[in-house]
Amino acid sequence: MKRNSILIFSLVVILAFAFSLSSYAQDDPIKIGAVNPLGDITGDQSTKAMELAVKEINDNGGLLGRPVELIVVDSEFKPEKGAAAIDKLATVDEVDFFVGGMSSGVHQAQIPSLKKYKKITIWAGAASYLAEEAIGPDADWYFHLHPWDYQQGESYGIGWSDIAEAREEVEIGKVFLAYEEGGFGTASFESYEVLADQADEGEGPYADILSDFEGGSFKSAALGGGEYRALLRRAKEFDPDLFIWAGYAADAIPLLAQSREVGFEPPLYVGAPPGWPADFEANPLSDKVVLYGMWAPALKEVSEVAEHFWDGYIKMHQERPATYFAPLGYTNIMYLAKAIENAGTLEKEALIESLENTEYDSPLGTTLKIAPSNVIKHQGFTRQKILQYQDGQQHVIWPFEVSTAELEYPFSW
Amino acid sequence: MSFSLNKSYKVLLLLVIFIVIIGFWNPNALLDGLQRGSLYSLIALPLALVLGILGVLNLAHGEFLTVGLYFIFMLNNRFNLDPLVAIIPTVIFLLILGAIIYWLTIKRVVKEGHLSQLLLTFGISLILIETINIFWTSMARNTYTSYSYASMEVGGFRFGTYELLYILIAVLVLVGLQLFLKKTRLGQATFAVGQNPKGAKIVGINVNYVYLFVFSVAVAILGIVAGAMLPRTAIFPEVGSPFTLKSFALAAMAGMGNLNGILFAGVTLGIGEAVINSIPNYGGWSDIVFFGVLIIVIISRSYRGAR
Amino acid sequence: MRKNLIILLLLIIALTLPLYTGVYILHIFSSILIFLALSLSWDMMLRTGQLSFGTAGFFGLGAYASVLIVVKMGFNPILSLLIGAIFSGLIAFILGFIVLRLREIYFAITTLALTHVFSVIIRNFSDFTGGASGTILANAIFEGDPVKIYYLILIVAVLVIIISEVFKRSRIHYAINAIRNDEITAKSSGINVFKYLLFVFVVTSAIQGLVGAVYAHQYAFVNPESTFSLNFLLLPIAMALVGGIYSTNGPIIGALLLGLISEYLKLIMPYGHLIVYGLIIVFVVLFLPRGIYSTIHNKLLKSNIIGGDKNANTASK
Repeated sequence: MKRNSILIFSLVVILAFAFSLSSYAQDDPIKIGAVNPLGDITGDQSTKAMELAVKEINDNGGLLGRPVELIVVDSEFKPEKGAAAIDKLATVDEVDFFVGGMSSGVHQAQIPSLKKYKKITIWAGAASYLAEEAIGPDADWYFHLHPWDYQQGESYGIGWSDIAEAREEVEIGKVFLAYEEGGFGTASFESYEVLADQADEGEGPYADILSDFEGGSFKSAALGGGEYRALLRRAKEFDPDLFIWAGYAADAIPLLAQSREVGFEPPLYVGAPPGWPADFEANPLSDKVVLYGMWAPALKEVSEVAEHFWDGYIKMHQERPATYFAPLGYTNIMYLAKAIENAGTLEKEALIESLENTEYDSPLGTTLKIAPSNVIKHQGFTRQKILQYQDGQQHVIWPFEVSTAELEYPFSW
Repeated sequence: MSFSLNKSYKVLLLLVIFIVIIGFWNPNALLDGLQRGSLYSLIALPLALVLGILGVLNLAHGEFLTVGLYFIFMLNNRFNLDPLVAIIPTVIFLLILGAIIYWLTIKRVVKEGHLSQLLLTFGISLILIETINIFWTSMARNTYTSYSYASMEVGGFRFGTYELLYILIAVLVLVGLQLFLKKTRLGQATFAVGQNPKGAKIVGINVNYVYLFVFSVAVAILGIVAGAMLPRTAIFPEVGSPFTLKSFALAAMAGMGNLNGILFAGVTLGIGEAVINSIPNYGGWSDIVFFGVLIIVIISRSYRGAR
Repeated sequence: MRKNLIILLLLIIALTLPLYTGVYILHIFSSILIFLALSLSWDMMLRTGQLSFGTAGFFGLGAYASVLIVVKMGFNPILSLLIGAIFSGLIAFILGFIVLRLREIYFAITTLALTHVFSVIIRNFSDFTGGASGTILANAIFEGDPVKIYYLILIVAVLVIIISEVFKRSRIHYAINAIRNDEITAKSSGINVFKYLLFVFVVTSAIQGLVGAVYAHQYAFVNPESTFSLNFLLLPIAMALVGGIYSTNGPIIGALLLGLISEYLKLIMPYGHLIVYGLIIVFVVLFLPRGIYSTIHNKLLKSNIIGGDKNANTASK
């Protein structure tokens, strides 16, 4: 008899689970479903920025006369959880759109689910070219905002060419890339290799500036590594004009510290992690370090939207946006909202067309415009920015239209 | 279980030869490896101590290090205390934390066998990581100290000086532990409990008290490591996690209860990693050296041993 | 009789699940069954007394083998799942001759080290494996049809449950129990310890490879970081221990419970749900140290005196 108690117990758990989900349903609002890793600062702040955007929209009377509802599910940075989250949003919450997302691994697992529903999807993160290949050329309902990994290296080539032209003393002949050995860093290295080969043949964005390229990998401190000295000695011997590292926030300080220890002092010291340590600008080591990214707090001085976003975010959440995923999350919602207004309908074909034609002046300091990339039809941002830490603040160096300071050159300890 | 030095003289000799060869070939790799390896051993020592005496494989070991790092970071950030000075309050804090956790949880599973302990400490590590994540978010944090990036140049050979501290502390902690186990009454009791808990109980040793003491001390040692490490690393909720596995690897390579062996194992693996790292374009294989050497040592010992 | 009825009932529920639940619940159960199979396979190895930390490693090998054989040689995806299983089993067979000499934590750390070795090798042979970025499949298996995928995973899970039960009921069980309880006596009573260990190691590794292959085809990609993730080691172990080890029912209950709780907690508590998850695990260890199933089962044994297996705290069927 009592054996059944186990069975009954598990059935109760299952039923409670299923029941709690069905009680979610509400009708009227336009529903946007987001999948973000909430335990991570990127997903956390991106979500908060999306909440800000939704609040602003609703305060202005919603969209097409209907309120907007944001439903967020945590991906936990786990592929199977991220994929199940798409299914939940589509079938339980019956959202109209998908937004959000960091991590290429999680995103790749979501792609089969996304293809099943073919709902309009506007994805903020995930930069791996493999994710683009997995989506494929036929997915006209898929819009991707973050520049793909190969586009990032390209845009810096354009940036440095501009800077080298404007500033005679700046030289970019020899480039050394230190990259973390995982997917993120390796993709970066591979795309630079392609660009360097192009430059050898006098083509591509680096054609006029790059003469010599070399790279080496390290194990990121985020994954238990954090020993860079051998690699840095190699870089020192190579004597680059431009040194770039592609790792994670956890690598920033130890890399600088060990560079200083081995006496490595390249004229341009560039970091390209997806995020930086908190208060990194307050650390004296950060001075004159150049960084690659999409956004800097200083943009609020040159862009009204950026200022509006900055103030709104702090007012709503009592904290500062600390990663570019915050303005990107805001952009994610606002761009969709603007396209819906322009289309005047939620009908899929019309809305896709409207998304294609809508331009959005984003808090990232650049205007979001859709254009085809290597595989997909609807790629948003393609350009990154070149920024620099100067006297405890992040400044935009390039593009010149939104620059907040001149490049301080050369880098020194 | 052997804590004796004399058995390991052969290993010591081999290690010295190894070090001399590497030193001539690539002095940088040698020093990098010595420093890094000392850090590995320093973190592994408390894990091995708990494994040897309590028989508990502590999966939350790395998270205790993380807690120590955040505590020191907080002291540094709020009260501007130098990380090395902050070691003292941190050791006291971790001693108490270790005692509380032992009293509330570990104590109940000491006799339950490896598996319950594994699950328990896995649960504890989840709780610690997530608690830190909620308070400090996943953002990396860092401190600045002017002294931790210093370097010296001797006859054209340039090397960093700060991490020499790791070597010093590793040796001091090891010697301290050995002296304690041999010379003090509590240490001898600990040794006895590690050898034979039932026998120790019969001769009147309070086994539970010894366990409590060993566990707290092991956690507290991580406070010293945290203070030494903080000036050189960024911290984030998972900063200590990879060290659990590395420490476990060193403990297994040294053999159960062999504390001296931990230092040898750590230094060997550290230098091995550094050597691979210094060969251009083969840095990606350095993990293979770590785990490959580990596997070879364990297996060759099994051939030499009884089984 | 009643026992068979319960099994039948559960099987019917599992088989008809797609009729009355949505895609999402189906997806959650698919994931749970994946972890259930891993958890059971780990437990099967544990029954021999060998604590394996290699689950994620053989999972990853199977995933890679099956994906690469489809991408590079155009194999049929279903067939490639078997290749994944065979490949993992084969590697386990070769390595088994070396690592099965080891016992206790030495076996554990060596299998864990092998997991890392596998992933480093795969990452560094980038021309063939896609390196650190990994490899994608053009399409998920069955074009991503959730119902078909669910049934595929259900078949795998049921297969693993059957193997686990066969192990319990056949001669292997007695040999294995004898090894675990007293290896030296087992040896002297003529049991070829190594042969049995190798057999179980190969079978469980093949299961892990099969499960890895299914997972990879469900999500249509492999990469070293996700595919060799220690989640595929730690979660199955936690599930088996929470449910109760040395049994078929324990890991099943553990996987269902922890799988549902983790998903449910996440939805009702977006921030900090992992703390509660951790607390649940800690409480289970402290108050139900033999796992949920074994605790309940043992209580029943005491009150009803059903008799049967007296293997100390092992709750067999």
